[in-house]
Amino acid sequence: MRPGRRLIDALPAWLDSHRDAARRSLGRRLQAPILSLITIAVLGFILALPAYLWVLLDNARALSAHIDHDPRIALYLDHVDEETAGRLEDALDDDERVARWERIDADTALTTYRDSLPDPELLDWLEDNPLPDVIDVVPASTQPDTVAALREDLRALAPEAGLVADDEWVRQLNSLHELGLRILSVVAALLGLGAVLILALATASELRERQEEIAISRISGATHRFLRRPSLYGGVLTGFGGGVFSVILLLAGVALSREPLTEAAAAFDLEFTLRLPHAGDLLGLILAGLILGWLGARLGSGHALRDAP
Amino acid sequence: MIQLQRVTKRFGSASDALSSVSLRVDAGAMAFVTGPSGAGKSTLLRLIAGLERPTRGRIRVNGHELDRLSARAIPRFRRSIGLVFQDHRLLFDRPVFDNVALPLEILAYRRPEMRKRVRAALDKVGLLHKETANPRTLSAGEQQRVGIARAIVHRPVLLLADEPTGNLDPALSQEILALFDDFNRVGMTALIASHDQELIGRMGKPVLHLENGRIEARGGASA
Repeated sequence: MRPGRRLIDALPAWLDSHRDAARRSLGRRLQAPILSLITIAVLGFILALPAYLWVLLDNARALSAHIDHDPRIALYLDHVDEETAGRLEDALDDDERVARWERIDADTALTTYRDSLPDPELLDWLEDNPLPDVIDVVPASTQPDTVAALREDLRALAPEAGLVADDEWVRQLNSLHELGLRILSVVAALLGLGAVLILALATASELRERQEEIAISRISGATHRFLRRPSLYGGVLTGFGGGVFSVILLLAGVALSREPLTEAAAAFDLEFTLRLPHAGDLLGLILAGLILGWLGARLGSGHALRDAP
Repeated sequence: MIQLQRVTKRFGSASDALSSVSLRVDAGAMAFVTGPSGAGKSTLLRLIAGLERPTRGRIRVNGHELDRLSARAIPRFRRSIGLVFQDHRLLFDRPVFDNVALPLEILAYRRPEMRKRVRAALDKVGLLHKETANPRTLSAGEQQRVGIARAIVHRPVLLLADEPTGNLDPALSQEILALFDDFNRVGMTALIASHDQELIGRMGKPVLHLENGRIEARGGASA
């Protein structure tokens, strides 16, 4: 800003200067379209790969919900008096963590069991029904923590009941998913770092080409910030391009793998269609491109301008 | 405007490019620095423009103590001076107009004002009709005049020129110096380095003669 000017007067000029920087940066990219497109493509691939893996992982989690295997808690009531059993049933009615529950009395259980046998007469030699009454509880959530908490609460209500919970598989599935997400985060972070370094190199070499302009501008009193501005706009433009390209790649990847995955799932008797990512996720991808582009340009220009004469 | 006190500049371990130089150029004055090539004329101008820092001594230009100016304060200082180079240093990736507009862009001038000033500067050096041309298509004399327009477009208080007539024939050189004389008449302080003694003699301005990094002779009163 020229000395003696008020900020409000300087604002339009400042905006002009930004517009010029953006326009010049775009012009420079259009002058060397192949090089710009290669940089955009590299960024697009780097963004699309972890995004695609994320979509698969997210869908795998959704697929697990399709498998008809909700975690269940079974309470065997053979050592439980009726009063406690009644309290337990009332508690189950009121508990929001319970999707549904059912008391299966011993006779029904035996009949069901008998019907499932190829030779039902086999059980006739039994004098008494050895089976206890059972309460079968289906939790509302498959979250391992919620299921475990419910299990412990039920155990506290009827300590003498035999309690069997089969929430183990949920825990295993969840920990696998967690592991997958963590590995993906590391891969994404490393790829992102790589992208920033590549963009920093591209920015630095572009600034080397502008060396004479930078030298003349410096002599005329240009600040670091002024000299860096076109590079930052360039980085953001490249980042935007890379983000959009990665969205296209991702959608193409999902579209291409949809049918084979549906067929593979059908082989396991599962109905499954790969879901498309949400619009918000796609916007996030473009935003990630913008941020990486800006960071790369910032790093590259900071380095190159410090070294410039 | 310019004051040097026992300024020495040494590059690496070589002998001094400038050795204990003291001089003074008053505001509104016009002076010449002369001497054979390698005498230290360019180094002197670069020191005054804040492009180099002195090894020893003090430099005061337009109220700024250059030997202690912080890196952050340098851009602002440089905006108050105009520099003309022997090799013009024009940017061939843009037309004449944009070359001249560069200092105004840095000073964040708005478009209409910028256009007015650039055209006025080009008019002054007689190249208004070339504003859309690429500088590459201009003759050496025209290129030098574009360089001069760029140096004065933001109306600096001090104009420094390093061998501005170095590659030009005598008639063109005379024309260029006449331009500087015009700028000086409207209040711009000017310090011009040149080895062309005959030309300088005709101007009747103060002259500093440099030899081996030292001032060997002074002609005129204010320098």
